Amino acid sequence: MSEFRRDPITGRWIIVATNAPKGPDDFERESHNRTVATCPFCPGNEAMTPPEIAAQRPGTSAPNAKGWSLRIVPNKFPALRIEGSLNRAGEGVYDLMNGVGAHEVIIETPDHLKDLADLTNAEIEQVLAAYKARSLDLRNDRRFRYLLIFKNYGETAGASLVHAHSQLIALPIVPKRVMEELRCADHYFEYKERCVFCDMIQQESEDRERVVLETAEFIAFAPFVSRFPFELWIMPKTHAADFGQITDAQVKDLAGMMRQTLQRVKQTLHDPSYNFLIHTSPVTDHIREEYHWHLEMIPRLTRVAGFEWGSGFYINPTPPELAAQALRPSRT
Amino acid sequence: MPELRKDPIVGRWVIIATDRARRPDQFAPLSPAPTTDSADACPFCEGREAKTPPEIFAVRPSGAANQSGWTVRVVPADDPILRIEGQLTRKGRGMYDLMPGIGAHELVIESPRHVANLADLPAPQIEQVLGAYVSRLSDLERDARFKYALLFKNYGRAAGAGTLVHAHSEIMAMPVNPVRLKDELHGARQYFELKERCIFCDLLRQEVESGRRLAVESRDFVAITPFASRFPFELWVLPRRHAADFTTMTSAERTDLAGLLKATLLRLRQALRDPPYNFILHTAPFRRHKPGAWHTVDEDFHWHIEIMPRLTRVAGFEWGSGFYINPTPPEEAAKFLREVEVATHV
Repeated sequence: MSEFRRDPITGRWIIVATNAPKGPDDFERESHNRTVATCPFCPGNEAMTPPEIAAQRPGTSAPNAKGWSLRIVPNKFPALRIEGSLNRAGEGVYDLMNGVGAHEVIIETPDHLKDLADLTNAEIEQVLAAYKARSLDLRNDRRFRYLLIFKNYGETAGASLVHAHSQLIALPIVPKRVMEELRCADHYFEYKERCVFCDMIQQESEDRERVVLETAEFIAFAPFVSRFPFELWIMPKTHAADFGQITDAQVKDLAGMMRQTLQRVKQTLHDPSYNFLIHTSPVTDHIREEYHWHLEMIPRLTRVAGFEWGSGFYINPTPPELAAQALRPSRT
Repeated sequence: MPELRKDPIVGRWVIIATDRARRPDQFAPLSPAPTTDSADACPFCEGREAKTPPEIFAVRPSGAANQSGWTVRVVPADDPILRIEGQLTRKGRGMYDLMPGIGAHELVIESPRHVANLADLPAPQIEQVLGAYVSRLSDLERDARFKYALLFKNYGRAAGAGTLVHAHSEIMAMPVNPVRLKDELHGARQYFELKERCIFCDLLRQEVESGRRLAVESRDFVAITPFASRFPFELWVLPRRHAADFTTMTSAERTDLAGLLKATLLRLRQALRDPPYNFILHTAPFRRHKPGAWHTVDEDFHWHIEIMPRLTRVAGFEWGSGFYINPTPPEEAAKFLREVEVATHV
C-alpha cells in the first residue's frame, strides 16, 4: 500500500510508493560528457567571462589571470540585472517590476575534470566560505530581499556548462517556496514555541532510519516527506535561521559532510545529475526563532510530469527509509 | 531589461527574460514526441480490450463491455499509484502525519485507433473525450473519501509519459486537495473578498480587451498565454462564462471547447515542432456539506485548463524557490501562435 505523507513544514501531502519501491539501480542512468571545445571557466580563459567579483588566489597572480583556486564572476547571461531600480507598476489586474537582481557564478575549481564531489575537504571548505562571503556582501544592497545559492550538476539538472560551478541569485522579493516554509514554520512556532526544523532533527536522530550521516555540527537525512527519490536535507544541529551566520568551524564540518554525501550519492546512484540549494531566512530581517537554514539536495532520477506540475503533489517511488539505508556508509 | 511579473492568482513571481528572448525554433527538443507506430502490442487499441483491467466507463455506439465497438474507454491503471480499496485512516508518527494511499487512478483512452496526439483526433471525437471526463469526475465526486480528482495528460517522454504512446489522459482522485489548487483557491477567494469579482473573469476581460496574449479564441472559450507564464508557450484555456466547476459545462460549450482545444494543440505542434506537453484541469474541489469546505468557490473560482509544453529543463533555482525564469515573453508566444500557419485539416 502506498502512503500519503504530510510535510510538517509546508503542509504538502506526497505519495510514497511502498509496494514496489525503486532502489538505486532502478533508474535510467546518465553519462556526463566533460569534453568541450573551449571552456570559459578554465584557467587561461578568464577573458571569456565578465571581470571577476572575487577570487581565491594562493600565489601572487593578478585578477582575471591564471593562478586562482576559486573564482566568482557575474553570469554572462544573467536572468536578472544589477543596474536600475525596481519601478514597481501595475497593469490592470497585473503587477510587475524591473528584473533587478544579481546573478553570480562560483567556479568551484580550476580543474575542468572534477565535480564538487571530487574536491578535497579543504577545497569544498573554500567553496562554502565563498557562499558565505557573497551572501554577506550582497545583503548590503538594500534592493535585495533574498539570496538563493544553488547548484545544477549535469544536463538533466539544468547545467549548461560542465565545469564545476554553483550559482547565486539575489532577488528583490522572497520566493514563493521560501515564503511557504517561513509561514508554516511561523504557525508551528506560534503553537508549540519550538522550531519545526529543530523538532524534526530531534525526531530524525532518535528514529535513525532516515539518517544518512551525522557529524559534530550537521545531520544529513532523507526527509520523511521526500518529494523525489533519494532527496537529502542537510541541517545544522544548532538552531540558526541565517546561512550567512555560519561559523568557520561549521564551514569546515559542513565541507566534510558535503564531500561524503556527494560521494555517497555519486557511487550509490551512478553519478546522477543533481541540484542542491540552500534555504535560508530572507535578508533585512529580524532574527528568526522559528526558521532554520538547510541545504536540500535532489538527485534528478525521475521526470516530473503533469500530475506534479498541476497539483504540487509529488509521487515518490523510493521510500526515504530505503533511500537512507542505501546511502548510509557501511559501518567499518 | 528582464521583467518580474506576479501571477495575480497565487502571487508567484516569474522572471520574463525579455533580453534573451527565445523564439520557437531556438528550443532543442528535450525528447522527441512519440511518432513511431508500435500498434502491434498496444493494449489501448480496439480489439485488445482484454489486455487492460475491465472498463469503468465507455462511449459505445455498439458492442458489449470490454469488447470492440467503443469510441472512448476508461479503465483503471494497470499499476495504480493509489488504490481504491480501504479505509482512510489518518495517523501520526511523532511529528509526522500520514494516511494510506487510497484513491482512484484511471486512464482515459481517447481513441480506439492508435493515434498519439489528441490534436490529431477529429473535433467530435475530442468532444466525446471531454464527455468522458465529465462523466468520470461526476462519478468520483460521489465517493465521500475523495476531495479532488486531478485530470491530466502527459504527452511525450520529457513530459513524463510512459512507454504507451496511444493517446490517453489520466485521472487521479485523492483524499486531499493538492497544494497548487489550494493556492489558487486561496488567491481567488482573497481577491473576491476585496473586490466581489472573480479574478479569472477580470483577467479574462483584460486579456480579451488587450488581445496581446490571446492565442486562440472561440465563441465560449479563450486560450491565452498568461501574463506571468512560468514556461515558454504556457497556455491557459478558460471558459468565457463564469463557472467554477468543469462538470457544469453545457453540451454546446463542450462542442466549442473540443474545437478550441484541437486548434490550440495543432498550433502548438506547428509552432514548436510537436513538443512534449502536459495539460492539467484545475476545477473546483468536491464540495461537501461540512465545516471547512469551500463555500464561496462557486463565486470566486473559475475552472481552466493549463497546457505546458516542455521546452526547458527545470533546474535547482526553480525547485528551490518556486520562482521561474521564462525565456519567452508570453506576448511573443501568443503572437507566434496566432500567426503560425496550420493546415486546416488532415
